[in-house]
Amino acid sequence: VQPPEKPLQAEEWNKLREDFQSPGIFEEVMLNSMIRCNSPIDVAKSLLTHLAKRDGDIAYNVLVKYLTLCVQQRQVSEICDVYDIMKARFKILESGAYNLLIKGLSNSDQWRMALTLLEEVKKIMIPSRTCYESCIKAASRHQEMKLAFELYDEMLAKDVIPTLDVLQSFFDFSRGMKDAELQKELFDILLYLRENQIYPHKTFMRSIKLWFESIPGGNWRGHLTNIKDSGQCPVCNHQLEDSNLTEEEYSNLSERIIRDVIHGTDTFRKTSPQEFEAFQTFVENRLPFDIVIDGLNVSHIKSRRMQCENLFDAVNCLAKENARLLVLGRKHMLMNSSHWKREIMKEMQNKAEFFFAENISEDDTFLLYATLRSGKHCKFVTRDFLRDHKACLPDSLTRHLFRKWQRGHQISKKNVFPLFFSQQPAFRYDCVVQTTGDTWHIPYKDVFEEKYSYQVPRKWLCIQQK
Amino acid sequence: MQSANMLLRKIVRSSTLPFAARYGMKKDLFPLSRTLSLSLCLKQDRSCEPSEKLDLDEWKKVMKSGLQEEVSETVSEPKELSSLAAARETLEMWRLAGRAVPENISEEQLKTFMECPSKSAKKKYLKYLHLKELHKKNDRRKMEEKRERRLEAQDQTSKTEETKKNSLVCMWSSTMDKAYNWRAAQSMIFGQPLVFDMSYEKEMSLREVTNTVRQIVLSESCNRRSVDPFHIHFCNFKDDSLYHREFIKQYREAWDKLLITVTDQCYTEIFPKDKLIYLTADSPKVMKTFDHDKIYIVGSMVDKSIKTGVSLARAKRLGLETAALPLEKYLLWSTGAKNLTLDQMMHILLTLKDTADWKKALEFVPKRKYCGFVNRPVTELKKTLHLMNTLKLGKGREEVQKQFAKSYPKKYKLK
Repeated sequence: VQPPEKPLQAEEWNKLREDFQSPGIFEEVMLNSMIRCNSPIDVAKSLLTHLAKRDGDIAYNVLVKYLTLCVQQRQVSEICDVYDIMKARFKILESGAYNLLIKGLSNSDQWRMALTLLEEVKKIMIPSRTCYESCIKAASRHQEMKLAFELYDEMLAKDVIPTLDVLQSFFDFSRGMKDAELQKELFDILLYLRENQIYPHKTFMRSIKLWFESIPGGNWRGHLTNIKDSGQCPVCNHQLEDSNLTEEEYSNLSERIIRDVIHGTDTFRKTSPQEFEAFQTFVENRLPFDIVIDGLNVSHIKSRRMQCENLFDAVNCLAKENARLLVLGRKHMLMNSSHWKREIMKEMQNKAEFFFAENISEDDTFLLYATLRSGKHCKFVTRDFLRDHKACLPDSLTRHLFRKWQRGHQISKKNVFPLFFSQQPAFRYDCVVQTTGDTWHIPYKDVFEEKYSYQVPRKWLCIQQK
Repeated sequence: MQSANMLLRKIVRSSTLPFAARYGMKKDLFPLSRTLSLSLCLKQDRSCEPSEKLDLDEWKKVMKSGLQEEVSETVSEPKELSSLAAARETLEMWRLAGRAVPENISEEQLKTFMECPSKSAKKKYLKYLHLKELHKKNDRRKMEEKRERRLEAQDQTSKTEETKKNSLVCMWSSTMDKAYNWRAAQSMIFGQPLVFDMSYEKEMSLREVTNTVRQIVLSESCNRRSVDPFHIHFCNFKDDSLYHREFIKQYREAWDKLLITVTDQCYTEIFPKDKLIYLTADSPKVMKTFDHDKIYIVGSMVDKSIKTGVSLARAKRLGLETAALPLEKYLLWSTGAKNLTLDQMMHILLTLKDTADWKKALEFVPKRKYCGFVNRPVTELKKTLHLMNTLKLGKGREEVQKQFAKSYPKKYKLK
């Protein structure tokens, strides 16, 4: 349905209504198309006049759609009028209307009214993320940084997660300000990125860099760089944090994993208690291992016909330097079939220890158990991201530790042809925002990704104070 | 201005628009036609504008005047709303805004809504209540219409006054019920037992328990009506569990009159272990024939949220034999879960019992899940297909003979 280009009289609206296939929802459809085509506000007003004259009252959803149009076209006086009418007519409004009102008002010079609205919303429910963000952006734009930070702290206290956009706006609007408190608050934002392992995207990173460089008297300089494999920054020669976990963190993590992931609610679902006990005795008698390999996962790297050879290549690759290997297999590998030949299996068993689990058991838990019990130096080989196991862990701290441990200890293949595994994991240094007081190292991504990606960024921003 | 008007009239007269000619002459009373929004007709516009301007804000005046009347009526102060009342208000506003929210919501449902853990859980629950209400309304409306039509038809037929003559004996449904009950009683003494394992209460949500109970009711009824019913046992059934409450809700008085065995013991205590077979879709072993001496166990669980391996875990823990239906073997599966509902299972088992025909039994699997029934196992068909392909490609005779011998070693011996 195309909205008219000029305001119409009542008879014309009636005519359009009758021509329409379902006259009951005519107003909604018309307003939707007006929003889509961004028609002038007068046209919508004429429709509302027609409705008011015909029914004596206008339905709530019509008012909300009209409000959307006003917000889209930034008609502030209209927004205020609609708000007054809605307030008097309905006791409380719902979240959609509040979002629109706050968004519309905060983009204008009546932004303080948006703050009063926010207070009103707080009485009924927890305000949504858009509400908070519009208010924060309005406050920042008008140089009220203290208020903006108060709102931000409130947001975090209510477990509403801020978007990267709002964090960027803090840095954008604080450029050139000299205030120790403000600086501390912005450093807190960077620490928030560190704790939650969030990597900024390019524009955000640039905003951070410009802010640092604009601090009067601070003498900060930023450079884009790549960190060397040894973990040293080529610009400031600072050694980045090690990716190894401390003893306490490690024992904490291993205990949690064994409790929550392996035993979980029912050992029978993933394996059986007898099998797990047998595995435990097997591992305890032969500790410690250097590398634990998920046999089935590795054998699927190349085509299915060469399953056995795939595993054989991997074992050969990793068995250099007298490393102690443990390979987790399944009972069907012992049956002499076209995929698993007995001679090759015998050869492999000379180079590594093998444990064969039942065909229906899940072997990820065995992998984790063996690696954790072997000690901090032990690494594991699998292409699985272990996302479902991370999800079994109870709180976010343990989950971050799991990710950190996984980054440092998981070996993936380097090339497919020829199959080549390196004994060293990808990252020696911890890939997260780091600081030593007078230097800041921030890894960043080129593109902004909505979902949590398992790819670790390679580019870094190094900021140092001279 | 005069020349502009002349130009306008020329354009207007030469075009084929219907209102064109009249527009040039009449200014005020005729409605503004969308087709002539030319920028040339300034003179006409200005005369229309003031009347339009007044119109545009009129809705506000109408609303405000309506509000003033309301405000004068209610003078009381707005009170602080309790959380439940506030939730109810929010729901009402959401409904006005056009979201999928039911009109009437009871206290219990409101409490469940407040306890929903996340925003999306809340939305889903409201949508479910809304749809339920909608379906009920539609059903009521259809019943009314049907009743009206029936009354009209009756009025018409009563005018003709025909007496109906029927040569059939009058068969009341209570007679049929008695016959079924006799059969069920006989099965309790002589029939093959079938166990429903009712120990899955903790793993299911309330909605899933309701669904399970409904499926069991259906399966019990179809069992009663069959030629040779099973003797149904509910094992691990605790008194005053969710299951019990739901059964009473569904059956009401008939719950006490059902001819089934209900016990809170486990099936391993009632029957010997070597005779039990647990039917579960996760089992690695495939069922080949229906054994009339064994006792089959079906887990009464509905898994709307995926619960792989739970029933298998139970069977493993007790050390029982497991089996899965040969769905892969006999059906060309397309899309759909291999978990079947309890009443489908009952139909399949009953058909297997009476006729050991897999084709008839697997008719009860929903047709959308598979695209064809194969009488012989799929692996056999693949071999034949492979053979046909080799023949088509025109490879040597020896090749064909070798393949045939490999595929069917018993039938054809290489000479």
